[in-house]
Amino acid sequence: MRPILLQGHERSLTQIKFNSDGDLLFSCSKDNVINVWYSHNGERLGTYEGNNGSVWTVDVDADSEFMVSGAADNTLRLWSVATGKCLYTWEFPTAVKRVAFNDEGTQVVCITEQRMGHQCAIRVFNINREGDGTKQSKEPLYMFNPIGSKATVCAFTLTPNVIITGHESGKVALFNVKSGEEIDNNERAHGDVVTDLQLSKDRTYCITSSKDKSARIHDTKTLLVIKTFTTETPLNSAALAPDRPYVLLGGGQEAMSVTTTSLRQGKFETRFWHKIFEEEVGRVKGHFGPINTIAVHPAGTMYASGGEDGFVRVHHFDDSYFKAKPYGELEILE
Amino acid sequence: EDAAEESNVSAELIALRKRLVDEWNAWRASRKKELAADRNRVSEKEQKADVQDKEEIE
Repeated sequence: MRPILLQGHERSLTQIKFNSDGDLLFSCSKDNVINVWYSHNGERLGTYEGNNGSVWTVDVDADSEFMVSGAADNTLRLWSVATGKCLYTWEFPTAVKRVAFNDEGTQVVCITEQRMGHQCAIRVFNINREGDGTKQSKEPLYMFNPIGSKATVCAFTLTPNVIITGHESGKVALFNVKSGEEIDNNERAHGDVVTDLQLSKDRTYCITSSKDKSARIHDTKTLLVIKTFTTETPLNSAALAPDRPYVLLGGGQEAMSVTTTSLRQGKFETRFWHKIFEEEVGRVKGHFGPINTIAVHPAGTMYASGGEDGFVRVHHFDDSYFKAKPYGELEILE
Repeated sequence: EDAAEESNVSAELIALRKRLVDEWNAWRASRKKELAADRNRVSEKEQKADVQDKEEIE
């Protein structure tokens, strides 16, 4: 499993995302730039420039026509994937920490930071897909301030107007975006900040990672915790591997907060855990700093990790990965 | 070697893993069923709406 190293960012990676075909990989970084790469060979296809601050988050629609990004310059931007042009910019009082499209690519949900007297806000925008994409409405369709702990991550569920959120306190919740009402919550989903939330293909479950060193699988309808993966390092990202019973976890302690200076202490490895048995099955080394973000190809043929070290590493799985049955012949439903 | 390894995995552990897989599969099957039912309901509604639209046009 020789990795392809993507060198195109000058600072740490914040989020990476495959498009739905899996031929493209989007990466955003604290260097203010978004890049798009061919996932099969790691060649850079293009760059999306215009942000004047760290780009925290990126998402791409199911047709790979539009991409959205959120940044520290307090903007949410809509981009044309093919031309690299910024089609529309929304401005807020604070930074945009997370963005996500719905399945149809007709709506975007975004979280803005709580800062300078401004509360954390969640907004939903309609995306006008007619024409060249430059005609968008300035005002959000819905906006609310989630009660209690600020939200850090979010995604649309299968139910219209219902989103799932992860919070600074470790809470995971369901919100009705129309009314701003918290429909349900699990206050103790995690013991610390929820750092990532990724949905299964059919959106019926999701995986969250947390600084509390664990990752969890939740039922997106009931918020019941189905599985827990407990590691020995704060986690920044968790991803589900399609077609294989694994989850991928990444994180690591910052070098400055590690007291002993052994390289091993950092533990900057992507960990593979068995999804059902909650046991670690393998690790992949490579990064020189914490892993900030992990994404798995939608067909499960490769995965990519983005690090604090500024590198993206793309790993194509080899035959042994697909053939391996570490726990014998057990049929596991996706 | 394989045989030796196999005997190390206790019958208890094998039973536990089987139970975990059965529980997972039961949960997945129920969610998939729910999802299919929800989708059917939505498409029925859409079909009804389509029929109504057509009637109005006529």
